[in-house]
Amino acid sequence: MFRRIFFWGISAGVGSAVAALVYNRVYFFITEANFSKLVNPASLIGANMLACMLAAFGYWAFMKWMPRRGELVFNLVFALLTFASIILPIAIHLPLDIQFPELFPGLTIPMHFFPALAWHTLRPVFVK
Amino acid sequence: MMKKMFYPVAGLLIMGASAFTLITAQSWKPTEDYSVKFTSEDPSGVFRGLKGDINFDEKDLANSKFDVSIDVATINTGNGMKNTHAKSAQWLDAEKYPVIRFTSSSISAVGAGYEAKGTLEMHGVKKDFVMPFTFQKGDNGGIFTSGFSINRLDFDVNKAEPAHGAAVLKVDLSVPVTR
Repeated sequence: MFRRIFFWGISAGVGSAVAALVYNRVYFFITEANFSKLVNPASLIGANMLACMLAAFGYWAFMKWMPRRGELVFNLVFALLTFASIILPIAIHLPLDIQFPELFPGLTIPMHFFPALAWHTLRPVFVK
Repeated sequence: MMKKMFYPVAGLLIMGASAFTLITAQSWKPTEDYSVKFTSEDPSGVFRGLKGDINFDEKDLANSKFDVSIDVATINTGNGMKNTHAKSAQWLDAEKYPVIRFTSSSISAVGAGYEAKGTLEMHGVKKDFVMPFTFQKGDNGGIFTSGFSINRLDFDVNKAEPAHGAAVLKVDLSVPVTR
């Protein structure tokens, strides 16, 4: 069972990382605000893979703990945590040499939803 | 008679004006790597947009003078929300008071450094202010450094909320200059 969930996590991580990389480039072309010190390809791939692998472990744990309602509870927790996580880019204090911190939430808040989006998009592939 | 006097008088005027330029203190231009930092428990940040006249000669303090300003709208605390608040009418009111300006009236040597006495204007309030500083001369330029504290309440900055954030902020200036 975990093998299937593992590949679900990996696939979702790759998908959300690709979406984040594309959005990062689009956002730079629109605003020309440079946040590459914090948000760069390595950090985007790492953060998205980490989020989706954590989701995989969480899903596996909830399904073990509550075989009948595990998925529902996991989805609620995943959605709540995703939503709560947007406080991080709003509250963060960037290094003072980074200009236009006002534009930082616009870059990162949408990205916080990418792991959940990728996870749910790929569900039909991994859950029959 | 008038015609005869014209050229000698003009010559004297030119000589006088030329001599005046010789006694003007050395003029300096800040380079782009200057920093205007403020720190406190909350908030801390930087300003950009340093402009003005820096006339300073260690050997001619009487003719040395600062008239410099920073652009309030360039404040960067590292947090977008705080920047917006800082620029708002509740705090620095960048729209109404776009610059913070210091104009010196006299500069004197104090210990190993100097003191510039003058007027600091912020948020529409002018206060007598003493700015201690040092100057380190290099080959083609130099660097001014200064550190002092400012109480925002003295300048009516969000006087309605004296406990909202720090009242006293430490300011550190580092201004490399070229001729």
